[in-house]
Amino acid sequence: MKISALIFLLLVFAAFSYFMARQKITTAYRQHKQKTKILTLPKYFGYVAALCSLLPALIVLFFLEAVEEPYITSEISTYITANEINASEDLDLYLNDIKGADTPEKIAALSDEKQVVYQRYHEIETVANRTITAIVLSISILLVIWGLRKINTDTPARKVFEKIIEGILLLAASIAIMTTVGIVFSVLFESTRFFGEVPIMSFMFGTEWSPQTAIRADQVGSSAAFGAVPLFVGTMLISFIALLVSVPFGLMSAIYLSEYASSTVRSVTKPILEILAGIPTVVYGFFAALTVAPFIRELGESMGMSVASESALAAGLVMGIMIIPFVSSLSDDVLSAVPQSLREGSLGLGATRSETIVKVLIPAALPGIVGGVLLAASRAIGETMIVVMAAGLAANLTVNPLEAVTTVTVQIVTLLTGDQEFDSAKTLAAFALGLMLFVTTLILNVIALHVVRKYREQYE
Amino acid sequence: MNNTDIVRQSLKKRYLKEQIFKFMGMFSIATAILFLLILLVDITTKAMPAFSQTKIALPINLDAEKLGLDANSSTESMMNADFRLVIRAALLEQFPEVTKRKAKRELYSLTSMGAEFQLRDMVIEDPSLIGQTKTIEFMADDDVDAVIKGSIDRTLPESDRRVKDQKLSWIESLEKSGQISTGFNWNFFSNGDSREPEMAGIKGAVLGSLFTLLVTLALSFPVAVAAAIYLEEFAPKNRFIDFIEININNLAAVPSIVFGLLGLAVFINFFSMPRSAPLVGGIVLSLMTLPTIIIASRSAIKAVPPSLREAALGLGASKMQSVFHHVLPAALPGILTGTIIGMAQALGETAPLLMIGMVAFIVDIPQSAVDPSTVLPIQVYLWADSPERGFLAKTSAAILVLLFFLVAMNAIAIYLRKKFEKKW
Amino acid sequence: MNESVLNELAEPVSRVISKPETEDSLNIEYTATVGQPLCDDAKFSTKNVDVYYADNQAIHDVTLDIGANEVIALIGPSGCGKSTYLRTLNRMNDTIDICRVEGQILLDGKDIYRKKQDPVLLRARVGMVFQKPNPFPKSIYDNVAYGPKIHGLTRNKSELDDLVEEALIKAGLFQEVKDRLHAPGTGLSGGQQQRLCIARTIAVQPEVILMDEPASALDPIATAKIEELINELKENFTIVIVTHSMQQAARVSQRTAYFHMGRLIEVGETDQIFTNPAHDLTEKYITGRFG
Repeated sequence: MKISALIFLLLVFAAFSYFMARQKITTAYRQHKQKTKILTLPKYFGYVAALCSLLPALIVLFFLEAVEEPYITSEISTYITANEINASEDLDLYLNDIKGADTPEKIAALSDEKQVVYQRYHEIETVANRTITAIVLSISILLVIWGLRKINTDTPARKVFEKIIEGILLLAASIAIMTTVGIVFSVLFESTRFFGEVPIMSFMFGTEWSPQTAIRADQVGSSAAFGAVPLFVGTMLISFIALLVSVPFGLMSAIYLSEYASSTVRSVTKPILEILAGIPTVVYGFFAALTVAPFIRELGESMGMSVASESALAAGLVMGIMIIPFVSSLSDDVLSAVPQSLREGSLGLGATRSETIVKVLIPAALPGIVGGVLLAASRAIGETMIVVMAAGLAANLTVNPLEAVTTVTVQIVTLLTGDQEFDSAKTLAAFALGLMLFVTTLILNVIALHVVRKYREQYE
Repeated sequence: MNNTDIVRQSLKKRYLKEQIFKFMGMFSIATAILFLLILLVDITTKAMPAFSQTKIALPINLDAEKLGLDANSSTESMMNADFRLVIRAALLEQFPEVTKRKAKRELYSLTSMGAEFQLRDMVIEDPSLIGQTKTIEFMADDDVDAVIKGSIDRTLPESDRRVKDQKLSWIESLEKSGQISTGFNWNFFSNGDSREPEMAGIKGAVLGSLFTLLVTLALSFPVAVAAAIYLEEFAPKNRFIDFIEININNLAAVPSIVFGLLGLAVFINFFSMPRSAPLVGGIVLSLMTLPTIIIASRSAIKAVPPSLREAALGLGASKMQSVFHHVLPAALPGILTGTIIGMAQALGETAPLLMIGMVAFIVDIPQSAVDPSTVLPIQVYLWADSPERGFLAKTSAAILVLLFFLVAMNAIAIYLRKKFEKKW
Repeated sequence: MNESVLNELAEPVSRVISKPETEDSLNIEYTATVGQPLCDDAKFSTKNVDVYYADNQAIHDVTLDIGANEVIALIGPSGCGKSTYLRTLNRMNDTIDICRVEGQILLDGKDIYRKKQDPVLLRARVGMVFQKPNPFPKSIYDNVAYGPKIHGLTRNKSELDDLVEEALIKAGLFQEVKDRLHAPGTGLSGGQQQRLCIARTIAVQPEVILMDEPASALDPIATAKIEELINELKENFTIVIVTHSMQQAARVSQRTAYFHMGRLIEVGETDQIFTNPAHDLTEKYITGRFG
């Protein structure tokens, strides 16, 4: 049975359960003739009965569906090996051919040998499908019967119902944890496979990056090298340029807006800065690659310097401008957390505004500003589209901003967007880079959030 | 010398510093705004050509014999007929002096590759056209388009020019006879992607974005609201809850591409979900936007005054009832604003979707959330990478469409915030 | 940045205005100020001062002289405008966009609201101590040295050291902090913090010190020390003190001015005001009938 039909059936059972339970309680109330006491509304008994049949059945269903696919794959692989069918081509591709045959024409188009395998696959799939349907439906029916028998006027129905809802709410809140766990597991798992092939030391400290693995075993001259140092240096170079632009500009913008600008100027300027923050990064990437980079190259050439057409400078500059609103709004928050009394204390002594800002406000807000800069750094390191479009692919180990460099994120995208089989060292390398990226930004974020929180507590 | 004099003496220098400092602040903001202006103007000017399309009017003789069709032919045979023949004949009639094979091929490339399909669809719709002669406007090839719009300079020497003298003379003669016209490029909004710049449109990408956003909304809104309610109203103070909060704050700052890696490893490889599908894209984006919406929803819930909760509790409502009947409706405008902002963020996101294969070249317009498709920002990325000249304008135009949707979403958010803003 | 100040200052005004029954029950007739608002040896001379927050008038037509080297206390119920009036004297109200001052305020015969007047220089001459102690999050030494440093009052480190020490001694804080001059100022107790703020102010050697309820956030012992300090400071400075406590006004000031609803009701020698007030309202306030 199709999964959608099965779920529909479960819902029908639940609805049945709801009405039956409600009916039972309504009748019971009428017989007891308890008119004086405030009673739990019958609908809550209905909800409880319905959820009691629906939830366990759904959980079992999703679990079985999740294991069905791997089970079928393993069964069919065993069958192929046992019958010594020549699956010399890649096993995954072979299975895909068979699984993809969902119309009679496609089945007919399969080779005779594959037809046999397909028959077997079809059998296994049908059996698995029927088993799942049977298990889930029987669980549901049993629970409907059990629930309807058990439920009576003494059941604390509203409390039970609210506990269930609270549980669902908690589950929703826990998705954040599951996401983190999912990220950690997926990058960690693939990375360990990668480090099984490439030693971790040569990845972390190697200075040559050329992930082109040989396509055929007999091919020579193109052995892969996975030394990630050029990527780390490139990432840091571009991020550094970005911070060099965004931190002073962002901080000064925030200072001007919060300390000098009239409320009219503020009310016009702030939304404009927000627009800057709301423009998708792919737009910045396009602008960096097609307008800023050629401009910088021409400018450099007119001054007699050779500038790569995909210079780190262009990507870094545009990224820096993209982060200005981010730094500015963080600094704004931090500066406005400094108590007004400190400003007045300084102004009351006859300090000018700039003296007050430089000598009192900024020192007082420094931890918060540092936290903001760390968050901005984390943004710059993880930024993808600008560098994919405006920085190069060549892994040059250089700190010259006029040359082309590549970054961790660029390489992740390049390694994973080609037609790659999933197990090659190339795709696994992307996950190893992802692990590095995740760990670095995680550390920066944790430190930054901690610093900012401590800073806020100080003035609360 | 008393103190007042000392202070007075120092003032000039201090005020100069003050002015410099203030100027630096204004300069910073002005730079940011100037950059924004340059970016918008640059993209808008680049995009303009994409909104108009050059057309060539040709008298076409739909010769039944040449096409091997008559008015009673089946649709299938019409689909298979070669309409190029009649278009070519029309072009040759226009320029009978062309005889060499190479020159003929040049001549045939005046109209777009899509011209035959345009003609075919017309005939299928009205089979009575067969046998008649009719003047029909065809889409011009992107080179012709570029000459007409002036992006290829006619005054350049032939060796530096993409369009050679011969072709230019044809174009000019057509221009003289009034057969060339430009009109609004509806095809840009009604076509899917194409390798030919003049035929490429964004409908596929817009629908892909729509499906992706619908999935994102359907998943992230209920989950985020549930999580926010739990954390604000029910969560006990313990380490597990602290851990959840730390996780939410961290996820908000995790680079988006990492979510793409998660999607690739978990949904595509482990759960074998379809590649390039809005369904998977939507799931990944909803995980990414969850923290944003949770944080916004929490502050909206926090802003509801305790008196409202107490009033409900005082009437004998349970905690759950007070939350769902009173707090949630009161906080809803704030939650919706946060959700729209999260959706806008998801609409502009590119990197995680590259990871799950939404970067494939897809001509067909997606019909559902499991069809392979692409999204607007990725269409921008793909076109930006294309070498053909015509795609430069298409890319910029696609960016304008993307920005239009973003502005619209933010305007709705601002409107909601203004309309339902309550001072408790 | 100005919203918080604004709320602090503007809110009480509107609150009073929104309760007309108080006004009616008191049966006020607003007449010219009773007593002697003027004096011969005036440091500050304010004439017909009106202050507005946007359209809200917070001060109505106040005329008052502040004599050289005197301590004058401004008293009155909350929201009566005494803090607003105080803040006009060194133009701290400039930090609030919507605040507008009309009338004439002369310091040593010169209008401090004239175009050429520099608020920075003015505030160096007219220092201010705030309601809540607000030391900078710097060391005790740096807090006191801050003013002299920005104004360039000293030429070298040892002069600055001396100046800081002198200011701390004058503020009666030196003995308590001499071993930890480089500890953060925020680590001191509330009373010590306030004396640090006073030391910070006198390190600039202003001519006038404005004090806005300087002891309201402190315990009685710390308050006593602050009052003692004010008594010593009056040798060298003109002091204008806003206070909530009538006892405090009686203890520290020579003259007292009573404000009500943004108007100056009565000014006179402190003894006279507290023993024999001329105006009905002043009497009612002093005898605790409202406040």
